[in-house]
Amino acid sequence: MASETDFQPTRRLHGLSWLFGLSIAIKQMVLPLIALVFFGTRDNDRGPFGPYLIPIIFVALLIRALWQQWTYRYGFGPHGLVIREGLIFRNVRQIEYARIENIDTERGVLHRMLGVAEVRVQTSTGGKPEALISVLNLEAVQEMRAKVFAESKPGEPVVAAAPETTLLHLPTGELIRYGLIDNRGMIVVAAGMGLLHESGLLTLDKQWLQSVLQSSSAAGLAALGLMMQIALGVLLVVSAIIAVRMLSVVLALVTFHDFKLTRQNDDLRVHFGLFTRIALTLRTRRIQAVHQTESLLHRWFERVTLNVDLAGDSAGGGEQPDANKSRARWLAPVCVASTAPALIAAALPAIELNDEPEWQPLAPRARGRIFRRSAVVAMLILTGPAIWYLREGAIVIVLSCIPLAWMHAHLYTKHTRWALAKDAVMFRSGWLTRRLTIVPRDRVQALSIDASPFDRRSRMANIYVDTAGGGATRAGIRIRYLAADVADELAVALYRTAGV
Amino acid sequence: MELSHVDPGIIGVWRWRGVVSALVFTVLAAAFSLPIPLLWPFPPLLIASFGLAFAWLWPPIAYRYLRYGVDETGIAIESGVLWRSRVALPRVRIQHTDVSQGPLERRHGIGTLKLYTAGSRHVRIELPGLNHDEALALRDALLAEGRGSGV
Repeated sequence: MASETDFQPTRRLHGLSWLFGLSIAIKQMVLPLIALVFFGTRDNDRGPFGPYLIPIIFVALLIRALWQQWTYRYGFGPHGLVIREGLIFRNVRQIEYARIENIDTERGVLHRMLGVAEVRVQTSTGGKPEALISVLNLEAVQEMRAKVFAESKPGEPVVAAAPETTLLHLPTGELIRYGLIDNRGMIVVAAGMGLLHESGLLTLDKQWLQSVLQSSSAAGLAALGLMMQIALGVLLVVSAIIAVRMLSVVLALVTFHDFKLTRQNDDLRVHFGLFTRIALTLRTRRIQAVHQTESLLHRWFERVTLNVDLAGDSAGGGEQPDANKSRARWLAPVCVASTAPALIAAALPAIELNDEPEWQPLAPRARGRIFRRSAVVAMLILTGPAIWYLREGAIVIVLSCIPLAWMHAHLYTKHTRWALAKDAVMFRSGWLTRRLTIVPRDRVQALSIDASPFDRRSRMANIYVDTAGGGATRAGIRIRYLAADVADELAVALYRTAGV
Repeated sequence: MELSHVDPGIIGVWRWRGVVSALVFTVLAAAFSLPIPLLWPFPPLLIASFGLAFAWLWPPIAYRYLRYGVDETGIAIESGVLWRSRVALPRVRIQHTDVSQGPLERRHGIGTLKLYTAGSRHVRIELPGLNHDEALALRDALLAEGRGSGV
């Protein structure tokens, strides 16, 4: 393709790109620099560069960032997007228009102040060759979107011309509910505690503790009586829980501020964020599976959470670890349970979801096996510690495992169902946290059936329906405790239609 | 789908591999065994005898349970003696393929067919023990008609 090799890209990055290049480089260097300053001040002998070391590094980084900006070119070639980096060590990358799936933007506070965006060009193969263009002004992003998508679908009108319909918009009230449901604050608190502990700030000072215990306020507490002490303890725990929940709410308000899910042509777009504004395109033909999660708190608020798996997300091996890869693809962080089917239908337009599918139960003997298994596992874990702490009382704990295991087995088998519809396979599981996964049949990658010796003894098997893009832990559908012949039939049916 | 066995040469490959790893473990056990007079040779000897017996007896059993079948839709591979599994992969889902051969396999004229998918857990599906030429032919047959998008 001579025309493509001759093509020289001419468009440049935004004039202030070096600022972002520099800030990324400084962020990467921050820890070594702190260490350098920290250890540097300890030694009297600070080497030949002494106090100039940090300015020298800074200037070097600045020059590198400016160099990168000056030598970076991109352009719209006859067949694809062409990106040229470097001048001495030159790297030219071509990304065919047809293979470009998404052009996503991410904008932090500084980006928004300067009216620019970081652009990610995503392709369907996942990871390579995916370009990160930092930064372009918004008109350039618009132009890129229009050109790329006009080229990739020559017969169709330019994307920007289509009207955008809003499918979901989360007002503040919903975000507060989301914060209450999703206990993200807890993770932050736990991480913070870990960090404090690691840095040695969280060790209890015995002298300080002694002085507190002997102080007059401690004596006053002791004089309050048992009931009052218990009440104070409960108050403390409750206020800690409330504080963590409030932190979760604040995090939700910041992360998902003005969350909007819109539909334009066949694509879904997601915008959210208060400080860092994220715009993602979820192309419906890239959606591999839809997950609906409903915890106990979700049910109290009559809400559900919807995620999608996109092709290419799970495949690593990109040049830089991209934060987007590990980020869940939200269809709706939270939405009213009754609106979920409409949103799922928007994400999977090719599938008919109007009729309630024929839900099938697990194997008849599944309940007994789950009961035995969970009772044995719970006893194995609990017996040792229970005897250690409670001595004779341990018998109560160990025996109470039996009814609890029965309850778990009963509720699990009652709520776990699978269904094979004309164009999708669905799986509903769990009783405390209920999950629903819908995989279109033409998105199935591979199927596997496995059976342990225990499974074979009770003529059962497990089936795993593999899909792309979800990461090894949550992708696809894994149904355990199916009757062996049912699992076989299901696998054969899915195998025949996969990729058709 | 009709399932068939792979080349019996794989039994030899597995046996030799088993022998080598049994010897490695024996040497490790000898090096780390407690220096008790007269008793120290027992753990390594035990490991060596059980390891060698296992390395000799297990491969024919594993071979009996390793089967594969190809039809117009794709390929299915069955394996495992105690924990049995069967993977079915439609040919449109094959991203790319490898046929690899280690030194032991080369001596027995055997190759391993590796099929890569865009999936999440079954990223690579392996079928060991094919006659090398057969593996190449199977690869070509699977690729010839499987011109899908992959996702």
